[in-house]
Amino acid sequence: MVSIMGASGSGKSTLLNILGILDNYDTGDYYLNGKLVKDLSENEAADMRNRTIGFIFQSFNLIPFKTAMENVALPLYYQNVSRKKRNDLALEYLERFGLREWADHYPNELSGGQKQRVSMARALVTQPKIILADEPTGALDSKTSAEVMQILREVNQSGITMVIVTHEKGIALRTNKIIHLKDGVIENIEINNPDLIDFNTEIK
Amino acid sequence: MDFWREIFMALSRNKLRTFLTGFAISWGIFILIVLLAAGNGIMNGISEEFSDQSKNTYMIFSGETSKPFKGHGINRDIWFTDKDIRFLENEAQHVDQVSPTINSSGFAYFGDKSCSVNMRGVRPVFQSISNVDLIEGRLLNERDEKQSEKVAVIDDALEKHLFDNGISPIGQFIIVNGIAYKVIGVYEGDPNSSGGGALVPFSTLKKITNQSHYWMLRFTVKGLETKEDNEAYTEYLRTQLAHLHEFDPNDMSAVYIRSTQEEYLQTMKIFNTFELFIWIIGFAMLASGIVGVSNIMRITVKERTNEIGIRKALGAKSRSILASIVTESMIITTIFGYIGMWLGMVVAEVSRNILKTAQEGNNISLNIVPSIDIRIVIMATALLIVCGVLAGFFPARNAVRIKPIEAMNYR
Repeated sequence: MVSIMGASGSGKSTLLNILGILDNYDTGDYYLNGKLVKDLSENEAADMRNRTIGFIFQSFNLIPFKTAMENVALPLYYQNVSRKKRNDLALEYLERFGLREWADHYPNELSGGQKQRVSMARALVTQPKIILADEPTGALDSKTSAEVMQILREVNQSGITMVIVTHEKGIALRTNKIIHLKDGVIENIEINNPDLIDFNTEIK
Repeated sequence: MDFWREIFMALSRNKLRTFLTGFAISWGIFILIVLLAAGNGIMNGISEEFSDQSKNTYMIFSGETSKPFKGHGINRDIWFTDKDIRFLENEAQHVDQVSPTINSSGFAYFGDKSCSVNMRGVRPVFQSISNVDLIEGRLLNERDEKQSEKVAVIDDALEKHLFDNGISPIGQFIIVNGIAYKVIGVYEGDPNSSGGGALVPFSTLKKITNQSHYWMLRFTVKGLETKEDNEAYTEYLRTQLAHLHEFDPNDMSAVYIRSTQEEYLQTMKIFNTFELFIWIIGFAMLASGIVGVSNIMRITVKERTNEIGIRKALGAKSRSILASIVTESMIITTIFGYIGMWLGMVVAEVSRNILKTAQEGNNISLNIVPSIDIRIVIMATALLIVCGVLAGFFPARNAVRIKPIEAMNYR
């Protein structure tokens, strides 16, 4: 579990875009899951994104005209998984996040925390190797933020790499490594022990 | 299957957007069709009004030779015969319809009344060339001509002299020079002429009067569109007639050739200008329709930039997003385009029937009946649909090219 911190303009978003294969880079090498990610065609990039990376966004980015279940099932649609199987899997993940009975609701009928849990379910449904979270708690109150961080930690403990971009110290302290960015370069890497923090307390 | 389900869902979940896009397309096509129909209607009305001038008519008159030729002396009369009619009908270039005329005058009798009458033996085509206005009954037709029927279309002056008020002349028999003619119609005669007039089939009067020489032949021509064409054609006619009647082709008094080319060319100019005008209006309408449809499609896609970003982040390939957006716009434009086309045609057809009925009742002289050319309608609709789809395609392609993170933050 890694967090990336830095002032705005420090290159956080650029780094996240590169990690998410949403943008190209000029120098250096990026290995994802043991594979060099460079000069991929659009289709290869889309495939890799779909199968190895899950995204969680500050503004949730759910599609407003799809139900919670359909939103969760959407990444599987692009893997050509059958409709039945898609929806079953989506329901299973919603169940895990305690949203089974909200499956048929549209995003605007859900609270912020519920929306973020739907988007986490969506990120996990493809069983990715890595989750990229861009300010996942930015739009949530401190109590809900703590819940979300708890879930992310559990996900991480199940063996999925977690990269969180944040500017909240409280969030960063709950990760194992804090990478401080400044002007596009890594300023320092802070090793952190999140076990010192009680995850049930509110984030200050 | 999944692809179509996804598209159907996107369309039905955004009912307002779908409706607005569709409405813009339907409305554009609807207005286009109604306008084209109205324009065509006015065009039809005008061409009917000018129909007597819409044909280029030639008249050749017999004359006297003024130059000796091949042993013939001067002052020889040149009369036209059936040979000339056959030449015009079968050999001469550009001739459309030949309308020879025989004149015969005498007295017409009905009961105890009588009136001097100038009878003209004409073919049915004469009536359209000379713009004969029917008041009641019917005009001469091909059957009358072929069977040499003893029928007559009399003018209103003759009707007034022979028939009392309240008696319909239709179906009555009048006697002229000992021959009974059945009256089949009444037309508007020349108010300046003294006495009455009557039109009878050419073949009928030819048999009765036994005439084989004509002093004038009238015929319509096609395909002479300029002054130069007409001058050359006049020369051609004179040369051909000189050959048939053995006179000097340079003898200007042997036959006289007149034509309505000046009026005809003038009328054609008006027609062409008006037609151009209608086309300009049509294109302007089409252009504004395309702009409207394109705008709506552009906005629709802009609105979806966010969604496109999300889908891309989730692993959608650009191609599949493009395909679904283009298919969506194709479905909307086609369905609503068809509805607009259908509505436009219904309105054009209904107003056509209403106007027709009104005209029959009131005897309106300018006959404006809207009409539509189905091929133009389909072509215009297809063009709008293609433009709508293209208008969706380009912004969609741009949206797909934006980096997903930027697209998602697009507001």
